[in-house]
Amino acid sequence: MRRKYTLALLACLGLSTLPALADDSTEALARTCNNCHGVNGVSAGGAMPSLGGQSEAYLKHIMLEWKSGERAAASMNRLIKGYSDEQIAGLAKYFAAKPWTPNTQKASADVMARGKDVTDKCETCHGATGGQPDDETIPRLNGQSAMFMHLELDKYRDEAFLMTHKKMIKSARKMEEGDVGIAAKYYGNQSK
Amino acid sequence: MSQINRRDFIKAIAAASSASVLTIPSAHAGHTKGRVVVVGGGYGGATAAKYLRMMDGGIDVTLIEANTSYTSCPLSNEVVSGERDIKTLQVGYDGLKKHGVNVVHDWVTGVDTTKKVVSTKGGKTFAYDALILSPGVEFAYGAVEGYTEELANTSLPHAWKAGPQTLMLKKQLEAMPDGGKFIIAVPPGPFRCPPGPYERAAQVAYYCKTHGKAKSKILILDSNDSFSKKPLFEQAWKALYDGMIEWVPGASDGKVIKVDAKTKTCFTNFGEHQGDVVNIIPPHHAGKVAKDLGLATFKDKWCEVKPESMESKGQKDIYVIGDSCVGGELATNNGFPKSAHMAMTQAKVAVGAIIAKMNGLPLPVPYYVNTCYSVVAPDWGFSVVHVYRVENNAWVYVKEASGISPVTMPDKSPVPKLYRKLEAEYADGWLRNVLADAFA
Repeated sequence: MRRKYTLALLACLGLSTLPALADDSTEALARTCNNCHGVNGVSAGGAMPSLGGQSEAYLKHIMLEWKSGERAAASMNRLIKGYSDEQIAGLAKYFAAKPWTPNTQKASADVMARGKDVTDKCETCHGATGGQPDDETIPRLNGQSAMFMHLELDKYRDEAFLMTHKKMIKSARKMEEGDVGIAAKYYGNQSK
Repeated sequence: MSQINRRDFIKAIAAASSASVLTIPSAHAGHTKGRVVVVGGGYGGATAAKYLRMMDGGIDVTLIEANTSYTSCPLSNEVVSGERDIKTLQVGYDGLKKHGVNVVHDWVTGVDTTKKVVSTKGGKTFAYDALILSPGVEFAYGAVEGYTEELANTSLPHAWKAGPQTLMLKKQLEAMPDGGKFIIAVPPGPFRCPPGPYERAAQVAYYCKTHGKAKSKILILDSNDSFSKKPLFEQAWKALYDGMIEWVPGASDGKVIKVDAKTKTCFTNFGEHQGDVVNIIPPHHAGKVAKDLGLATFKDKWCEVKPESMESKGQKDIYVIGDSCVGGELATNNGFPKSAHMAMTQAKVAVGAIIAKMNGLPLPVPYYVNTCYSVVAPDWGFSVVHVYRVENNAWVYVKEASGISPVTMPDKSPVPKLYRKLEAEYADGWLRNVLADAFA
């Protein structure tokens, strides 16, 4: 205990003896992900999703599916082939250990009211606000980038785009065209 | 017991905070593990400065940059076409200051590598234990006869450094009549932003097509015989702007060697081309500060660095990152592209190496990645990805992970439009995130 406090005290004085972050190989690799997905996997928005705090199983699964070609992607399917399954597992573990940091994006009262209705079916797996995934293979949606979620739904809805999650494909294709953006904005607005 | 400790600890912190206010006038007077000076506040330099501070608060970091705000070159072609506000490309240095970076707006005038001191135009000196150079590129105006820096700033903007020249080029495009000719002269590679000239051609064509100027022509006079993402550009040009864009390779007398500013005429070895807008991208090389230090050992233009650390091959404790450096013999064949993304991963490798050295730790594994998006219309983008490994102190281009977006699907069917739309949106998402990762 005393040692911990001493180290903390030294850190306050700018005299810490160890770097703030351990410099293992996964950490160094993860830093390259930060370019698009942010420090600790917290995205600055747009089409790039936050990764920090998604479950390890979800992150690992999606990366391995891109690598094998089972699942389509526009860019990540190429990039991910540069890394071993062990490196991918390491990255999944690294980002899963970070806190999920919702970025609550503005949405009008009308969008929120309609969003509640159109996401009725999503609730079973993702929870009412998208923040209570039913199991560890399901991603968190609360405060995820709305633009990213809109484009993900577009992927699920496009028959020419190879996606793997059958239930998700079915649900997304049942949605009305105009509801896609509303669902994305609804979850993007959620803080919890 | 622990409660007493905690209380003592809080008191100690309070004492320490007030003491630090009284006795340490700046972060630079204290005893630190080491001092790092970063020269150049673009994507590479900003990333290096931020990550040094973020990963090791015991290191003293000074960033020297002439300008008080930065304008991103990536996606600035969208400013030329009017599709993007230049403000979305601009960022200041307050984010870095919050990380404890000492940001100094000044020009570097010299580096004493023996005394390890950087001096500036403003008369200041900065001692360093490690020096990171991220100075971008310096343009060799004289390489195209008749072209000068003054012309670039007044009538023939190259707009290959985003800012006022980007806006000048936009105005010239707006003033161009329907049926006008927009000439882009491309320098010999390697140059900054390999797909940039061809993306610019597409953005200009998009502007013309959507502003009642569809009879206009874009002529690309190229010093080279091929270019980045060529099959993707040619496919998009044909699908979106059929007949508007003409590319003349070096082998077909495409290299511009002289320009006449008054008549807006470009001269090649055997021909001449007159345009309504003439956009000369002059040849360039490593930034002045790196070149003056004699670090540009590759063809007297680019700085060679060590793969494991980005440290200069010629000077100990000087790291060269970004557009100024070159990946060894890979310079023109799958070598490091001169891109923002590449500069940022290079910065992170240099930072990892410097922190390891200052803490007496072994060098971390270096990871080099590039992602580069080009946008040819609002719903049409594509990319190239590069992954490099370091093996036996040499870069290895990881072929299976790298390459361009699909031109056709594996069964030769057309690529679904959604792929192109996704990558156009990813370009914007990428911009927001790289600006945040480097500057916030």
